[in-house]
Amino acid sequence: MKKLCVVFSTSPHSNAAGREALDFAMLAASYDLETSLLFTDEGVLHLISNQEPESIGCRDYIATFGALEFYDIENLYVCEESLKEFAIAPSALPLDVQVLTNSDIREHFGSVDEVVVY
Amino acid sequence: MSTFILQVSGKAYGSAAPVHALRFAKAAIDEGHHILQVFFYQDGVFNASSLGSPASDEFNVYQAWQKLAKLHNVELVNCVSAALRRGMVAKEEAETQGLSHWNVDEHFTNGGLGELVSGIAKADRLICF
Repeated sequence: MKKLCVVFSTSPHSNAAGREALDFAMLAASYDLETSLLFTDEGVLHLISNQEPESIGCRDYIATFGALEFYDIENLYVCEESLKEFAIAPSALPLDVQVLTNSDIREHFGSVDEVVVY
Repeated sequence: MSTFILQVSGKAYGSAAPVHALRFAKAAIDEGHHILQVFFYQDGVFNASSLGSPASDEFNVYQAWQKLAKLHNVELVNCVSAALRRGMVAKEEAETQGLSHWNVDEHFTNGGLGELVSGIAKADRLICF
């Protein structure tokens, strides 16, 4: 079976890309494709704790990230550079994500069959 | 010969994504490759509109997709949940939901993300636009 990496590169709530990326990732995993997630650029904002998207009329899809283990999505990665840009401390992340350097990310992309950027 | 699945996420007007996807599809077909499916997701579902009417001196991306489907028998699949959220309704949904109008062209079929994922598993390569 193919290996996929789904990249979250846009901020949550300002558009639907993150939500549609998550829908795609969960579906892919449920079809037994080995699926990993990478948060990069503004996509790292998905990992901020205590978000209240309902207050601006958005569905709280962030809460669904907590259910990823039930879909066998175990490999969650975040870009170290992007965390620094947004001054997010790795210790503050609510999910069990692995912090990757740029060269780690290159290596991961080389190890999967398809990279899908949202 | 390679087999491709294309994912189009850019809207029909205001995005270059569908034009790039169409050119890729035509070039791949001309070179003897097979386009397994074009899957429209996110704002890409607007490409399925049967009502899009660009000015006469503009490229008609809607007609270009319909022509691609007719000439080369390429399967065009619109993600149904992404489409319904954006007001893109196929005839059969309009009937089941009691809506008086529909706007998805007949060359597009409704599909779920499962069709994208099974297409990815089958094709040699996924290309996203």
